[in-house]
Amino acid sequence: MKNNKVKLELKGITKKFGKKAVIDNLDLKIYEGELFAILGPSGTGKSTLLKIIVGIEEPDSGKIFLDGKDITELPPNKRNIAMVFQSFALYPNMDVYRNIAFPLKIAGLKKEEIEKKVNSAAKLLGISEILPSAVSKISGGQKQRVALARALVREPSMFLLDEPFSNLDARVRFTAREELKRLREQLHSTFVYVTHDQRETSNITSRVGVLNNGKFQQIDSFENLYNFPKNRWVGDFIGNFPMSFIKKSDSISWGFRPEWALAGRGTLTAKLVTNELVGDINYWMCEIKDGSMVVLRGDKPKEVGSTINFKLNKYNIYKDNNFVKQVA
Amino acid sequence: MKIKQIKKYLLYAVAIIVAIIFIYPLYILFLVSFSPTTTTLDKLFPSQLPVKLTLANFISALTQYHFVAPLFKSLEVAFMVGAITLAIAIPAAYGLSKLNKRLGNLIMVFLFIANLVPALIIAIPISVEFIKAGLFDSPVALALAQSLFTLPLATFILLGSFRAIPKDLESQARVDGMGLFRTIYTMLVPLAKAGVAAAFLLSWLTSWDEFTFAVILSPLKPTLPVIVYINITEGSLIQAAAFAAVVSIPVIILTVVLQKYIRGIYLTGGITG
Ligand SMILES: Nc1ncnc2c1ncn2[C@@H]1O[C@H](COP(=O)(O)OP(=O)(O)O)[C@@H](O)[C@H]1O
Ligand SMILES: [Mg+2]
Repeated sequence: MKNNKVKLELKGITKKFGKKAVIDNLDLKIYEGELFAILGPSGTGKSTLLKIIVGIEEPDSGKIFLDGKDITELPPNKRNIAMVFQSFALYPNMDVYRNIAFPLKIAGLKKEEIEKKVNSAAKLLGISEILPSAVSKISGGQKQRVALARALVREPSMFLLDEPFSNLDARVRFTAREELKRLREQLHSTFVYVTHDQRETSNITSRVGVLNNGKFQQIDSFENLYNFPKNRWVGDFIGNFPMSFIKKSDSISWGFRPEWALAGRGTLTAKLVTNELVGDINYWMCEIKDGSMVVLRGDKPKEVGSTINFKLNKYNIYKDNNFVKQVA
Repeated sequence: MKIKQIKKYLLYAVAIIVAIIFIYPLYILFLVSFSPTTTTLDKLFPSQLPVKLTLANFISALTQYHFVAPLFKSLEVAFMVGAITLAIAIPAAYGLSKLNKRLGNLIMVFLFIANLVPALIIAIPISVEFIKAGLFDSPVALALAQSLFTLPLATFILLGSFRAIPKDLESQARVDGMGLFRTIYTMLVPLAKAGVAAAFLLSWLTSWDEFTFAVILSPLKPTLPVIVYINITEGSLIQAAAFAAVVSIPVIILTVVLQKYIRGIYLTGGITG
């Protein structure tokens, strides 16, 4: 990915609502052909960031480059970036066909050309049969496909998707994810999408940017986010459980994942607080001497209050909450 | 099931009663206009049902007084007021809908203050200016003056309609390639059509029976309400009734035409699919 051309670059973007900087001096490079995920808790400014890229929100400072061209001052209709909103934003006064045809009609294409493009987009997304339907009559999954079709008919420079899976029910969600991956491969286009759910990033994205406090805390593959969280916040946010930390001195602590620890042996001790089953794996949520919580993997539930010995096969060293190195 | 049905009938009953209350005066107006005076005004206890119908009142009213010119003047001014009001209120309401809600509402309140000042107080200085500008008695002048009073309410109605349109729809239209003005006029206005129709109708109606501005700004070429007033004061009550019937006919037509867009939802600003 790194050798690729830079598709989109954000330099020093700041956006304030009132006094609060939702986006704070943020830098980002997206490479051509990437499927990039922006991950962060609700209310951290993920949607705002997409809206800044597409041109609906104006940044207070900073520059945006698309294919090396400064587009900061361009209105959304001149940027050629497609965006699919979380609500899908289908025009209620148009049927499915006219929704998909809309950007082409605005661009002034001929009727036959519009028809050809709409039909091929509908075919690509498997929605040819519902073209004459009213948008109020179709399912959530279909709505998303219509929104995607409308985004891709105009062959935009890149795609932005805001929480593309959150409005779908669990059954369709999985196939929608795979479909997005397939779509990117077929179109050879650049996709950026936003999610607050890390399960929606792990297996389909090239890189994930973890957004918090107006900045990317870390941009990396999901494996690296899990194994080498750059700071404590990322360690806490990524994974089924927050990373466990053992304080070694005022500034140094060790961080570890449940599967890095071996329970039953060792000199470290913890007191069991609760058992928790995730899938078919049992976890022991324990409290250690300094009062912080650690999560260990144990074969079966144990009595609450019992003492557990453990040792670490692998751990990360953090100095002042920042990653230093991994010890294995 | 049963309770539901009883509720339904009760609702119909109430609707019918309300309708009668509103329609009764109109009915009496038409009754008086189309009946000879011997069966209505001359009687101490006139019949509520038509005894004899006649066009005589209309014929005498329409031949005795210059009625055609005021009718066309009124129509011209009313449509102008509707157009001027929408032309100004649409961008105003759009702008207000972009502000945060509290600030938008505050500004809306200030706009309504113009309505608190009696028309007479505004009309006289305005007419002085219009005389200077050579606009005295002109329909445009009267329409502009009346729009002062229709604008706040129209803006208020449109503000509600614009606010009710999901923000993403507007953003989507921009992303899909529309410029700002095109988005407002070809995407948002159609989505807010209930509010637009309501704002137009209310402005039109306000102008249609507006009196104070009309009598001060346009006394030589009067509008219908002024002519009706003159007839009443001249004592020809029966012809005034005939006039009043004439006045209400365009109102009924316009309301029937526009009501399919409105359906009573404009106050909540709902958008129809
Ligand atoms: N137009 C706006 N005016 C004021 N505050 C806003 C506006 N849009 C978003 N915010 C605030 O900015 C923060 C980030 O919002 P958003 O970008 O929607 O977050 P996310 O998509 O990550 O959940 C939130 O606290 C939200 O309340
Ligand atoms: Mg969001």
